[in-house]
Amino acid sequence: MSAEKINISRFELLMDAGFGAQKAGDILIKAFAHTGRHVFIEPMIPAEISPPPRTRPALSGVSIRVANFDLKNIGNDTDIILAAHEVVLNRRLDDEEHNAKAKVLLDMGDKETNQESYELTCKRCAKLGISVYPFEVSEEGKMLVKGLSGKGKNMYYLGILAAIYQVPEETMVKEIRATFAKLPPDVLDKNIQVFHYGHKYATENIHFSIDITPSPAPTNGEQLLIDGNSAMAMGIIDAGFKLYTGYPITPASSIMHTLAKRFHHYGGMVHQAEDEISAIGTAIGAYFGGVPAVTGTSGPGLSLKQEFIGYATAAEIPIVILDIQRAGPSTGMPTKTEQSDLSAVIWGTHGDHVKVVISVGNVLDCFYAPKLARYFAEKLKLPVFILSDFYMANCYKVINKPPIEGIKKIEEVPDYIFNHFWVNRLPDQIEMVRTEQAAPGTPGHMRRVTGLNTDEKGSINYFSKTDQRAHAVRNEKMHHVSRALREPEMFGTVKEGEILVVGWGSTRGAIAEAVHNCQKEGLSVGGMCFRIVYPLPVILPQILARFKYVVTVESAYGDAMKKPPLATLLRSKTLKDVQCILCRATGRPYAPRFIQGKIKDVLAGHWPPKQ
Amino acid sequence: MATEAKTEKLPEGVPGNIKELFTENPRWCVGCGDFSIVMAVKRFMVEEKLSSHGTVNISGIGCSGRAPNYINTYGMHGIHGRAIPLALGMALARPDLNVFVHSGDGDAISIGGGHLIHGINKNFNCVFILYDNELYALTKSQTSPTTRKGHKTATQPLGTYLDPINALQMVLGLNASFVANTADWMPDHLVNTLKAAFEHKGFSYVHVMQRCPHFDPNNWDHKSTTWFSFLEHKNGIPPDKRIADKVETIKHDPSDKEAAFRLANAKRTYFGLFYINPDKARYDEILLNQIKTAEQEPIKNLLDEFKI
Repeated sequence: MSAEKINISRFELLMDAGFGAQKAGDILIKAFAHTGRHVFIEPMIPAEISPPPRTRPALSGVSIRVANFDLKNIGNDTDIILAAHEVVLNRRLDDEEHNAKAKVLLDMGDKETNQESYELTCKRCAKLGISVYPFEVSEEGKMLVKGLSGKGKNMYYLGILAAIYQVPEETMVKEIRATFAKLPPDVLDKNIQVFHYGHKYATENIHFSIDITPSPAPTNGEQLLIDGNSAMAMGIIDAGFKLYTGYPITPASSIMHTLAKRFHHYGGMVHQAEDEISAIGTAIGAYFGGVPAVTGTSGPGLSLKQEFIGYATAAEIPIVILDIQRAGPSTGMPTKTEQSDLSAVIWGTHGDHVKVVISVGNVLDCFYAPKLARYFAEKLKLPVFILSDFYMANCYKVINKPPIEGIKKIEEVPDYIFNHFWVNRLPDQIEMVRTEQAAPGTPGHMRRVTGLNTDEKGSINYFSKTDQRAHAVRNEKMHHVSRALREPEMFGTVKEGEILVVGWGSTRGAIAEAVHNCQKEGLSVGGMCFRIVYPLPVILPQILARFKYVVTVESAYGDAMKKPPLATLLRSKTLKDVQCILCRATGRPYAPRFIQGKIKDVLAGHWPPKQ
Repeated sequence: MATEAKTEKLPEGVPGNIKELFTENPRWCVGCGDFSIVMAVKRFMVEEKLSSHGTVNISGIGCSGRAPNYINTYGMHGIHGRAIPLALGMALARPDLNVFVHSGDGDAISIGGGHLIHGINKNFNCVFILYDNELYALTKSQTSPTTRKGHKTATQPLGTYLDPINALQMVLGLNASFVANTADWMPDHLVNTLKAAFEHKGFSYVHVMQRCPHFDPNNWDHKSTTWFSFLEHKNGIPPDKRIADKVETIKHDPSDKEAAFRLANAKRTYFGLFYINPDKARYDEILLNQIKTAEQEPIKNLLDEFKI
């Protein structure tokens, strides 16, 4: 086997749901991380629990990008695909995310009974220029897999991938043992044996391999392997929240699961409510009682919570809402990513209202965002959103362990959190609609809140001047945030010039990479992603004015006659002719290569750009 | 001795009289039963020495929803049908406070029906007062889930089409741990019902028949005493003393659920304690105990399990 020495590679393991593709991926990336490689992982999760095997909806797998430098997104094209059978391979090829010279390792185990289908798939690959490397699980491997009720194939595939990516067998075995520590010893041993068979097969039969040279200096300090939703759950604990309320909904539920196992050990409670409305209601009730509470949901739940969001605004009760976006509208695609809740979050609930929307673009943001959200919510007494999405929630990577704060009061939120989100602290005194803001139990204060309009004393009041004042005071709270926002981080060295690419949330990694690549080519391309996406900085028009063209990249639908949410927002705030270069609703994250191509189209004079 | 009695100091925040619980004149119609219910809550607070600052009144929307604005305690006038979720949040966050929920028939049984089911099942500690005037009043006379069949409303002007939901039967069916029935025009009975409900730890369902003189003045003949009976038991609620001698009283053991169902199902109206079960598990208590009994982890170890 001659190893090709490269800096970066992306591969995929595709299997039927329930056969452990993601588990195998987890083991491999831990081994990568332990041997000094950087990884970024995106699982492919079906929306159903056990779709029938050998059908397209059954596709369950993992994309892994591995490099000898820090990775910020799942990247461009897959170099190597290992597919358990031709159906999942076919399904995945539809996404067109493979390298033109990709190599496919195809398990031919099902071929006998599906001759024609296999042949068609191989023809398709040939047409695409993809090389197919057929293989079968060896006889000895098959015997063991049979003994594991058909569940051990992932270990065989893991063996093949470990051999191709030159991860030492002993490192892999260590990780397998750690991952399956709870298995009975004989079952564990069988799994390890299947792994060895796979490894042996690849070493003897597959005549290519990839060597990602480890980064020379391993990072100092402790490292974590963590996904977006786990980081969010841990961030909630660290921010000092004491109640999490939710209703089961993909892809937010895993935050509730993570907290349910741990929160009581840190003085917190998880409440699974009877519905989405009740979940936010209970969080608001707790926060009125002086106990920091957060509720989490996804699109359909966001729609249901809208009335209470307006209530919290009017009654001046802090509340933090997580929206882990899926593809919409309606139930949409629960396990696919999209950023199209932005409008519903910003403009949702009836009547004039105010809120603050924080977005997350990497795992570390997920850990930090709850602290900032709590700060804004309590300081301003209004709803604060944290916007994540399926991609952000489920992708994971290895990060340096962040500091842990154990926040008790919002005054303790440290400076680096504000710096991280490119915002300053708010003024000490913020005017409220009602002067009385005491928590229940405080003698002599008797704060009573209502969703009806009130005067300063909190008495229900329908008079014109009182209503106008209440609106002005509420909006001023949000304007404080606008003024506190600094110029957002600009990627690379270009601060003015031809084209500025703007995004928010989970597209950040891909945009940053695309912009850096353009800058390396000497192009006048700037890039900027909002971490606080609403309200926007007061200085926004001046920033956009420094560029000839301003374009957005959004995982939300748009076309020639309809701008996607961020472009709409930027146009309305700045009157700049902001266009979108990528606004596709595919449920898939963007590849930097795509973004670069679109940027170059604009530089070549295609304006307005084609969607 | 007399001077000593005068200087006897109440604990901080406990109202010495009803006036101390006054906020503003309620904006209800003359003769509305809501006045009597709010007055009963105030009387109960004074008699039981509940502190103002230690009490939270929580409501939804409708005429009943205004109640918290008119009692000088902490209060949340919430959104339509959702008083129970807010109250649960309060019960989880602040088990030290007294939580009262004020909800109407439309609020609790129609738009908020789902929450009533789960409030009862979770059995968290609160006094839940159902203001049952058998129609929507603040929105001007529409049919509610408890409107009697045939009664003409703005939305069913030919007469309400369906039989009403029997709320007492419904909550008994849901395994409520405390079920009592009373009426706004029997202040003593109402206050005593609140006392029993407060004493019970769990979700105490207090059903109050509430007059709506504006939209349905002829609903109940509250001057007559022939159409109802009091339920009496040593563990129950005493009959209203002003009319006790004129009203039939029947013995009912409030631990007898089958008998409670029969009474709830009867054509005749019964006032008193239908059912009580002090042993029903409480969701709030379980969650709070979980923290108390769990080994508390030092926060610095928070991320250790993700270490590689």
